[in-house]
Amino acid sequence: MSIQTTDIPFSGPPRHRLLLLTRRYLQQAAIVGVAVALVVWFGCSVRHALAQKGIQFSFGYLWNSAGISLSEGVVIAFEGLRPILRPFSSTDTNAQALLAGLGNTLKVTLSAILLSTAFGTIVGIGRLSTNWLVRNLSFGLVECVRNTPLLIQIVFWYFAVVLRFPPADAASSWFGGLIASRSGVFLPGIAVSDVASPVSWSLLVCGFGAAFAALFVGHRATKAALCAASAAAVTGSIIVGFPLALDLPVATRFGANGGTVLTPEMTAILLAIVVNSSAYVAEIVRGAIDALPKGQWEASAALGLSRSHTLRDIILPQVFRVVLPSFANRYISLTKDTSLGIAIGYPDLFNVSGTVSNQTGRNLEGVIIVMLTYLVLSWIISACMNLINARANARGGS
Amino acid sequence: MNVVALRWVHRNLFAKPFDAVLSVFVIPISAWVIYAFAKWVLVDARWHVLTGSMRVLMVGIYPVDQLWRAWFSVTVLSAMLGAGLGLSMQPPRRLLAVLAILGAAAGIIASFSVGAAHGALITASAWIGVGVWQAVSLSVRARRLAAPAMLLGLAAIFFVFSPPGLETWGGLLLSVILTLTTSVLTLPFGILLAFGRQSRIASLRVICTAYIEIMRSVPLILVVYWIWIVVPLLAPNTSVPSLLRGMAGFALFYAAYVAEYVRSGLQALPKGQVEAANSLGMSTWTINVDIVLPQALRVVVPALVGQVLDIFNGATLVFIIGLTDFLRAGQMILADPQNSGRIYEIYVFLLAVYFTVGATITYASRRLEAYLARGAR
Repeated sequence: MSIQTTDIPFSGPPRHRLLLLTRRYLQQAAIVGVAVALVVWFGCSVRHALAQKGIQFSFGYLWNSAGISLSEGVVIAFEGLRPILRPFSSTDTNAQALLAGLGNTLKVTLSAILLSTAFGTIVGIGRLSTNWLVRNLSFGLVECVRNTPLLIQIVFWYFAVVLRFPPADAASSWFGGLIASRSGVFLPGIAVSDVASPVSWSLLVCGFGAAFAALFVGHRATKAALCAASAAAVTGSIIVGFPLALDLPVATRFGANGGTVLTPEMTAILLAIVVNSSAYVAEIVRGAIDALPKGQWEASAALGLSRSHTLRDIILPQVFRVVLPSFANRYISLTKDTSLGIAIGYPDLFNVSGTVSNQTGRNLEGVIIVMLTYLVLSWIISACMNLINARANARGGS
Repeated sequence: MNVVALRWVHRNLFAKPFDAVLSVFVIPISAWVIYAFAKWVLVDARWHVLTGSMRVLMVGIYPVDQLWRAWFSVTVLSAMLGAGLGLSMQPPRRLLAVLAILGAAAGIIASFSVGAAHGALITASAWIGVGVWQAVSLSVRARRLAAPAMLLGLAAIFFVFSPPGLETWGGLLLSVILTLTTSVLTLPFGILLAFGRQSRIASLRVICTAYIEIMRSVPLILVVYWIWIVVPLLAPNTSVPSLLRGMAGFALFYAAYVAEYVRSGLQALPKGQVEAANSLGMSTWTINVDIVLPQALRVVVPALVGQVLDIFNGATLVFIIGLTDFLRAGQMILADPQNSGRIYEIYVFLLAVYFTVGATITYASRRLEAYLARGAR
């Protein structure tokens, strides 16, 4: 819709009409012309400047050997025909370095999305608690986080918290499986046994597949059948010889063995982004709960439901339908925020691309690749959230 | 009195079994945290690291013999801040008195650590800020003059502050000036983009929409870095200072966000107004400038004030192009081996300053929202 005027009337004499049409097309042509001229000018000057330095704009450098090392990051390689994941080594190509960086970005992003959604929802509910202390603590947390820059939070978590953990040989061990030390945080992991038969593997995969499908099926009987099938498949795989096992880390003199390890950088950026994002998620959740009609609380209280029952069965299901678009925005911001890992040396996509650019002098190409990647990531996130949103709102139907 | 307190505790902390359980867990933990923090602040912390390095934190590596320029800028800034706060909320008299006393206290503390002249200057600029606040909030004419006066103030700061070289700017003052300049620059550009996105000319609409969407889905740090590397390629024979390149990056990035805010304001406007103006025979330009824009901007002023906070927090990212902002200045102090153990003192101070500024801006934006909502009713 145009703000300015109603549309130009096309009812005048033919000559007048022709004039208007011509003017309109000239307008369009002028704008497109200016835009094209700007882009051409931009391209020409950049090309000229690069030519003076003896550089040609091309993406060929991606296939050269990188010659850099990353503190973490995996690449896909082929052993015969079987794809395997192995740590990045300096003989890999620049493209593989960028992919390893992208992998690190995705690792932080996905973990942060899951953790901050859960934690943020809890804090958001905490802000509406009937307990004065909990309510005000949640409020204080949200205010502190939202009024300070994320960068200083990341730097603080890294230098003032994670690097102040006890050294590896004196590392504390909590709950049997979690070791926090200066050289990283060790979590229980999942170990894959080598002796498991293909039968148990395929049963397990079928079980997970059925459970995943059950999530997306609306029909109740089908859902039950899928759940049963999933349970049967997993049970079968346990009987045949379960291929997965819990792998607890054990503290040793020089760190820890076994389990999954989070490097200090990864720990710091994950902590910072989860805490930061949780504050925003909490505000979204609180806003959505506040926006629900008060009558719902009163009606369910009149029916004799407790506050926790009301929250779980009446409020939250409605809230999650409302907050999904806001969550999508939040997740996109969170993805962009991971680029701040460069401040503490976390090898995310932006950081790796910077290193590669420094090595090769390909700043422009590097930035273009990173920009396009972030664009695509944003699109993927909003597409996924739109899909979930459409499903959630179709089922409720209002 | 005791009974009242007990009743309050019962109602607010132990009203229901679940609340009681929560309280039993939360009270000891928070008491311990408060005790540990208070003990650290009052007993363990060595705050002299701050008094010794305050100059670096505030102005970075700005030459010592030119510091009067920085002081002038601080005075103008405090007047501008006072005017901004005065415009955004009607100040209670008590708050003004408290602020004036706080300014004097800060001046006295400063006169012990950095000299009596600086102490007097701090007191004076705090009082000037409060005075301008009071003046602006009283007079309608002052409100109308506010925008040009702010621009004039900004220009004065640039004029006085820049002779020693833009690359010597640093510290908190750099963050603040970057924030103010960017906030001013984004506004016209963002408004143009918003109108472009709503235009009936298809090509303009497509270009503006694409620009906004692209800027909104890439990180700020990437945009700043990209402008920084592209500008020397576009202007090979002139060297543009990093600060200006950084400002350009910030302005281009945040303009997309301003455009979205303004668009929401444009959409909130009843269509009948434009139609009525049309039927009066007003030109498109007059309609947009005199009728549409003032009302649309009025709706989004709180959002724009909130955006200033975003820009201030984002200003820490200029480390990527080598500028020494407030955070970077703090890290520079920690890089000195003499101060390496004082990491918590520095970071707590940085966080406290950011929090104070942030909380003030949030508060102002909230007051403004309530104030405007009352006016529109």
